[in-house]
Amino acid sequence: MSKHSSSTRRMFLKCGALLAGPIAAVSLPALALTKERPEGGLQARVARLEDEAAIREVHQAWLRQINAGGGTALIGASVTRVSADHAGVADRIDIAEDGRRATGRFDCEVEVQRRLPDDFTLGQMAHAQGSGTLRTTERRVLTVEYLKVAGAWTMGRICAEAG
Amino acid sequence: MTGTPYPKQQMHRFAYTKLTKEQIGTKLGPVVLKGPTSVSAPAADFAGQTLSIVTDEGPALKYRFTSNARLSLSENGGKALEAGFGALESDNFCLFTHLIPGTQRGYAVVVDRKSKQATVIELWFSGYEDNREVQRQIYFGYIDAGADAPKGRHELTNRLEGRGYHWRQDNGIETLEYYPSAGYSHFVELSRTGGELGFCAPSDYVKLDNDFILYTRTECEFSGTFTAAVIDMNRVQQMGVRLGFDEADNLIYCLSRGHGDITGQIAHFEKFEDNTGDPIPGPKDKESGKPVKGGRRVYRPVHTMEKMSREEVAKVVKDHSTAFPAGTTTGGAAGMSQNALPASDYLAGKSFTLRYDHGPVMEYRVDGSDQLSWRMNGQGDWIKARYQAYEAAPGLVLFGHLLEGAPDHDGHIMAVDFHQGLVTCYNGYLNTPYFANEAGARTLFGVLEMEGVQPPQYRRHQRTTEMLGRCITYSYAPGLVSMHLYSTPHTVSWIIFTPDQHGGMEWSGPGDFVKIRDGIYFMYWLEEACNGTLGTVLLNLNIMHDAGIGYNCGTRGLNMSAIGAIVRHAGKFDVDKYFQIRT
Repeated sequence: MSKHSSSTRRMFLKCGALLAGPIAAVSLPALALTKERPEGGLQARVARLEDEAAIREVHQAWLRQINAGGGTALIGASVTRVSADHAGVADRIDIAEDGRRATGRFDCEVEVQRRLPDDFTLGQMAHAQGSGTLRTTERRVLTVEYLKVAGAWTMGRICAEAG
Repeated sequence: MTGTPYPKQQMHRFAYTKLTKEQIGTKLGPVVLKGPTSVSAPAADFAGQTLSIVTDEGPALKYRFTSNARLSLSENGGKALEAGFGALESDNFCLFTHLIPGTQRGYAVVVDRKSKQATVIELWFSGYEDNREVQRQIYFGYIDAGADAPKGRHELTNRLEGRGYHWRQDNGIETLEYYPSAGYSHFVELSRTGGELGFCAPSDYVKLDNDFILYTRTECEFSGTFTAAVIDMNRVQQMGVRLGFDEADNLIYCLSRGHGDITGQIAHFEKFEDNTGDPIPGPKDKESGKPVKGGRRVYRPVHTMEKMSREEVAKVVKDHSTAFPAGTTTGGAAGMSQNALPASDYLAGKSFTLRYDHGPVMEYRVDGSDQLSWRMNGQGDWIKARYQAYEAAPGLVLFGHLLEGAPDHDGHIMAVDFHQGLVTCYNGYLNTPYFANEAGARTLFGVLEMEGVQPPQYRRHQRTTEMLGRCITYSYAPGLVSMHLYSTPHTVSWIIFTPDQHGGMEWSGPGDFVKIRDGIYFMYWLEEACNGTLGTVLLNLNIMHDAGIGYNCGTRGLNMSAIGAIVRHAGKFDVDKYFQIRT
């Protein structure tokens, strides 16, 4: 669906100062474009960068909520933490031509908490001693759909596939 | 009477009296001023001494010892009360204990005269729905001698985890104690009940210094009796106190000395730098967030077990019997089958007879990899049954099926050696005396009769003590690991682990052990008074893997399902000699 895309390095998973890196990185091709395209192209490019930044903000807020203990339900289990998979491929945000939809692809490590079954003795004992959940870390590729509603980007469907 | 003093009922079957608070008070009353009994001479250097103990977030205790058997105590600056006491000493450690007049409380105190540190165990009755179960709260503190308080404290530890002892006390009590957990322990009463079965109890382990450890256990779910012992790990000696009520509801309040032997030290699995204890933190108060006084997590399987009548069992078996749900190796205890061996089609197409000594003759026609027909004693129609088989070693097959129509809803789980022509069957059945849905088990030995197989005439699989004292970890699935401890020739105990790999809760039940081949053992455990499951394990130590089948009946039905794990050998306690019958 996308016509415009850019790859950034772990941009949405890094907060604060690290955000400056990806933005600076994409600014060079943007300057190059100004020599080839009319003024309208530059405006579109700026708008796209602004959209990407806004999407990253949405994502960061979502991650902060999860990692601060809010958790979320993904992959049929309770995800308690999401962090960048530095061994994965670069993050990618594709914005649709109409500028109202976008898709993000992020390689992550997700910490998953699953409740052990308690219909047999060992499971019951685990719950009785307060350790009835199992936490594992799994590599996942998050594919996130975004929608621009009333000028603001919001998260839509999130798909987490095995990485 | 000579011989071994086997009890009429084992601890998990004994109906301990639900003593009332008043009954307990009546029994404690005469003892408060007497103090504990002791076979060994108590310490005789207390008369005229005073002792002030300050504890962290606990009581301040001021003692005045008016004689070597009588003290007065002021708690938190309160009125001084007189009580009888007893004390024992070992090196720089002193253990003394007393009750408190007008209450159902008492203290056991361990004082280190060298470091000036103290551990205070407050004990009380009538603090749980079963009044006889002794409650305990441990406080760490120091001797207040007016000078600077010592900075160090005794502390909970895992330093004794994995150790086993044989103890012989001055009062004639002889026990095997296993400490495979940092929060539970397992004990076998050799002298008092004949040592057929071992039992489990929540425990505390306190590091007093590098040479001495304080161990406690409370026999929850049984008599409720509390035991504490200061263990001198170098000399393998102990001094201890025991408080509670026996099977006849007689008050036990005694000090004892003991000496023993180290029976072994198995592995434990925490990170190497982790020497912490208290792996199963107790409950916390919802409002203050502080630990509840005396609170501890106790496994109480009788309370949580589904208990069914014969009629209820008959109905649920009729309506909901399942064996090895189709297309999977998993069943009711699905959590214990993720690492199971793959199901085998070894039996498919075979016809054979399993002829058990003094038991049934079972004829089989195996139609496929999960369906067979069986007939017993050459009578009646052939009955179809769903089965699953696992080839635990070349030519050695574990398989099981339910016996539809059997009055006690039997299941057969068999280890068949097609190379040797031998079979051992664990015959599970229901309608047992205590709870109808609790499984019982018979062990049947026999031979395989099949074209091309000549079974032996005299040789059979045999019971073995080769597994006695061993500890094997079973990794059934991520996060689901237990360790078996084969503590007596008839006991399987299982320990589960905490997320940081401390040994945690532990329980046990009767078991059986049969040697199938060199390094291969067929075993079962029975969860008596604990869910009622019959669990079977065909353990192959050559490949460090097992194949197993579980048989269980609950409100959701009668179920036969796969069990399987990757195993590790954690070590072995040398306890064979304690189970010999001597003249």
